[in-house]
Amino acid sequence: MTQFVQNLIDGLGNGSTYALLAVGVSMLFGVMHLVNFAHGELLTMGAYVIYAMRSNDISWWVAIPVAILSAVVLSMLIELVAFRRVRAASAFTLLLTSFAIEILSHAAWRIGVSSTPRRYEAPDIAFKVVELGPFNIEIWDVVSILVAVACFVGTAIMLRTTMFGLAIRAASEDFDAARLMGVRANRVISGAFAYAGLLAGIAGAIWLVRRGQADPRMGAEPLLKAVIAAIIGGLGSLPGAVVGGLSLGVAEVYFRSWLPSDLQGLTDSFVFVVIAVLFVVRPQGLFNVRTAERV
Amino acid sequence: MAADRTAPLARTVTVARPTVGAPVRSQLRSVALPSLVGNLGFLVVILAIGALYASGGSSARDLLIGDLFVNLVLVLGFQVFIGNTGVLSFGHLGIASVAAYTMALLAVPSDRKTVLIPNAPWGIPEIELSPLAASLIGIGAGIAVAFLLGLVAARTSGLAATMITLAFLAIVRQVAENRKDLTGGAQNLSSVPRIDGWTWPVVGAAIAVGVAVMFRSSKVGRYAVATREDELAAGAMGVEVFRPRLIAFVVSGALVALGGILRVQSLGSIGPSQFSFEFTILILAMLVVGGMRTVTGAIAGTVLITVGKEVTRFLGDGPNFLGFDWPVVDGLPDLFLAGALLAVLLTRPNGLLGEFDLGRWLTRHFVRRPARAATPGSESAPEAGDAATADVPTDPVVSAVAPAGPAPADEALTTAGLGVVFGGFTAVDDVSIRVEPGRIHGLIGPNGAGKTTFVNLLTGLVEPTTGTVRIGDRELTGAPYRRARAGVSRTFQNLRVFPALTVRENIAIADLVAHDHRSHRPGVSVDELLALSDLEHMADRSAATLDYGNQRRLEIARAAALRPDFLLLDEPTSGMSSAESLAMVDHVRRIATAIGSGVLVIDHDLGFITNICEYVTVLDQGAVLAEGTAAEIQRDQRVIDAYLGSQHG
Repeated sequence: MTQFVQNLIDGLGNGSTYALLAVGVSMLFGVMHLVNFAHGELLTMGAYVIYAMRSNDISWWVAIPVAILSAVVLSMLIELVAFRRVRAASAFTLLLTSFAIEILSHAAWRIGVSSTPRRYEAPDIAFKVVELGPFNIEIWDVVSILVAVACFVGTAIMLRTTMFGLAIRAASEDFDAARLMGVRANRVISGAFAYAGLLAGIAGAIWLVRRGQADPRMGAEPLLKAVIAAIIGGLGSLPGAVVGGLSLGVAEVYFRSWLPSDLQGLTDSFVFVVIAVLFVVRPQGLFNVRTAERV
Repeated sequence: MAADRTAPLARTVTVARPTVGAPVRSQLRSVALPSLVGNLGFLVVILAIGALYASGGSSARDLLIGDLFVNLVLVLGFQVFIGNTGVLSFGHLGIASVAAYTMALLAVPSDRKTVLIPNAPWGIPEIELSPLAASLIGIGAGIAVAFLLGLVAARTSGLAATMITLAFLAIVRQVAENRKDLTGGAQNLSSVPRIDGWTWPVVGAAIAVGVAVMFRSSKVGRYAVATREDELAAGAMGVEVFRPRLIAFVVSGALVALGGILRVQSLGSIGPSQFSFEFTILILAMLVVGGMRTVTGAIAGTVLITVGKEVTRFLGDGPNFLGFDWPVVDGLPDLFLAGALLAVLLTRPNGLLGEFDLGRWLTRHFVRRPARAATPGSESAPEAGDAATADVPTDPVVSAVAPAGPAPADEALTTAGLGVVFGGFTAVDDVSIRVEPGRIHGLIGPNGAGKTTFVNLLTGLVEPTTGTVRIGDRELTGAPYRRARAGVSRTFQNLRVFPALTVRENIAIADLVAHDHRSHRPGVSVDELLALSDLEHMADRSAATLDYGNQRRLEIARAAALRPDFLLLDEPTSGMSSAESLAMVDHVRRIATAIGSGVLVIDHDLGFITNICEYVTVLDQGAVLAEGTAAEIQRDQRVIDAYLGSQHG
């Protein structure tokens, strides 16, 4: 039981990062049917910004907001330069475009900085553990979960109360109809990229404080997890993305603690098989995008 | 103008009717052969340039050219599936990996295996097959895996298939990394029998060109292309989506398996990271940059990316070149790859070459064909439409093309209590109609009356909540392609031609289906349909380049090529002037007479319907409001109130 709860806390800690990314992925899918594999590059951007500022002894209190801002700006820039041009193209072109941007980013960091990782020192708080009864709780896990919850609540309020939120919801339902009702396509899509960039920036900040290094390919793996999470939740569904991200984080921890050691390396494969089966059985994801209530 | 119009129509009648036979064989001769010759010629040119380049340099150049040909096999393997179906797959190198591992496990010498993988199951350490036998078994394993993966990937639609294949690639890699007893894990399995020189890679590339060209012009390949162009329209023409995609997946899997085996045999070792995601992107870039839709495009892209990567690698190594020292830039080839891919996707999503095929281009420009003079002056359709109103020589043409008019099928199209409810909204409510064979029947009603939904119910795009559809006593059930084969073919209100295919190919695909499933019905050949539709002078243009009126007539011709018992025309005159509409009346009559089918025409224009139809059904709010002859309907007070009232009131 103790182990169970301990795993749950660890899993939710990881899962909240996935969920923050997944909400962005799902939002972009909603407005332009794009599975954005370049979304993880926003984390890489944040990492190099943090590295640059920390190696010049700039405070974390400055470094983190600047890193988040850089993710927002890069996200909007990618939309402006690339995705805007292929907005009406097939899913095929969109998907491949996002992969091309991902590789371009990897190559750019390799050329611009180096392919060897750049290290910075993690702050003390990142690995601080408090004993609470039988549990060892990492402070940073709690911070991650609280920040993520705040983001989800904030997103829910934003979607319900602001014009931008209404436009996003309308565009996800039926983009053409939304345009006819006066939603400006450029503005809502650009806004969605900015918002997804913000969430990615925050997810990145949580992750990067602990990670302690920046390297060109670092964004790929968490993004893959986020895409899986978004798929589990049903692409386009924001509450689905949250649940998908959290359950993926928890599932990974349990897989790792329960799988026999010679199958440990296959954790991802098990997840993939589950996803593939899911796709065949319920192509719309665990939550039906049309009927599930949006955040 | 009027005289100009008559001339081509009259002339077509005198053209000897080609026998309606073996459209596949003729396609192979006229399309596959030039394409095969052209693309193999392209290969020879590459080989010659490659040999020249390699002869002047180190053995690294030798390897580069060998690699180029191996990559060609892989790219063409991808092309067969991705290019023809339009579905993006990331999983093909997983197939290559399985095939190559199978080959390696069987072909690595026994004494090496007892050292490298002593604990391998199934007595593998004792087995030692010749490289050729092991390769063939490896390809067999690749085909088997492709079949199983294809069963899943071909059943789901685009995005899901992409994700599933991506997951498959990751799974294969993880299994290869973790089943150390079998694969040696991350430690490469070395001592794979090596192939020397370019012979086998070149042979492999030639085979791949042959397979890819033949597949594209085979029946199943053309069906696959139709589903790529428009899944819905393909279904309405009796083309199934699943089977052609599955076959395409298996054929491309076989080629990719061959490519994977060649790659491992030229390296002499195999490891889990060899068929990685990064390599997949490289192959995809080669495919997409040149143009995935044709074999020529795939070859050109492979050459372009290979050359570009080689140049950037050279520059990135910090050479002394053009008189000064270049800086060492790590990652320059990757930057080039991503940049080239992105630039092409953003500016020419269909690749640099698009639909260009070397063989077909050569034929068009250098092979003299029997002159089939294009009709002067009939390129501008609006004028043609105006002229047609008064002077189209309807009857002579019909009687000439179809002298007696083939006997119409003697079975009526009937619906009994047909209805559908969407959520709480009854779109079509208990509609029973009877369309007599060989007659033109009108279905009319104001906007939102449920006309299109009714056609969707007939053709299976929408599953009915209640009721049945029958031709004679055969009940039409199941997916749209089954119903199309059973005798109903349709056009769409918002035009759904196969845009990238030529006008002729649009019609030929339906004709192909007709050969297999509608051969008991009298047929009109593709050429005759082209002539009847006045499209023959633009037969080789891609359908997307036609104007609106011509696309409409093309869609009707395509539907007619299926030799249906009943043609269902959904608003054939929508967006046309009244003069054009009248020309359309004659056109529909001509086509229907020529194939002896009944017609159900849907429109909201009462004038058009009463002009063309003997019998009319009026729908209002999803239910039948009135039925009768055109004259009766025009007098019917309910119709005037519900329909005309709103229009004239």
